[in-house]
Amino acid sequence: MEKKKLCIGLYSGSVDKLTAAGIILSGAVADDMAVDIYVLLQGARAFRKDVGDNPDKLNMAENPELKAEFLQSLKNLKVRTWVEFFRECRTISEVKIHICGLAGKIWGAEKLDDFIDIADDICGIGAYITAAQEADVNLFI
Amino acid sequence: MTQAELLTIQVTKTVDARGTACPGPLLEAKKAVGTIKPGDIMEVLSADEGTKVDIPKWCTKQGHEYLGTMEENGYYRIFMKKR
Repeated sequence: MEKKKLCIGLYSGSVDKLTAAGIILSGAVADDMAVDIYVLLQGARAFRKDVGDNPDKLNMAENPELKAEFLQSLKNLKVRTWVEFFRECRTISEVKIHICGLAGKIWGAEKLDDFIDIADDICGIGAYITAAQEADVNLFI
Repeated sequence: MTQAELLTIQVTKTVDARGTACPGPLLEAKKAVGTIKPGDIMEVLSADEGTKVDIPKWCTKQGHEYLGTMEENGYYRIFMKKR
């Protein structure tokens, strides 16, 4: 049976929204969905090698004053970091991570090697739209 | 299954996910179910309230048989049979 497809447009570079994406991704792979994540604009900055899991380099877009409390609570509850979620989910089901080429350029990262090692390729908007058209579920985060 | 029946059940695999919050138990269950044979029984231990809803729904979608949940002191034992 063909797997159901989830397509995520991951625009945000906000640490809470990246974490939410990781949690949603976990539910999707537990359900054997095939997932395509298109990393757009500020999301691409978060995927840069020198940012990734470094909380000092990630903002919290809404209520920035709650960032420290949020991160401490995640730690207390032993919740994985957003990169750990993404990395683990890739071992469970088909999860492909595509970085928007323009977004990468905006943040000074043009090659696949400039991003954390869970990124699969660099693509254009056409690939995102095609995947969105073909997906069973679409989310924009 | 009744609580009494669950007490006598022969469990093949126990997944202790009490140290993690959602979605940890679901991910642990997903990984563990790949290591057991069809017909084997697995129990998931979780202190997360959401898990007792998530696992039965997940079982239904994946075709596994949800057998029941027992409430212990501060955590749940959720039983399922692999399809």
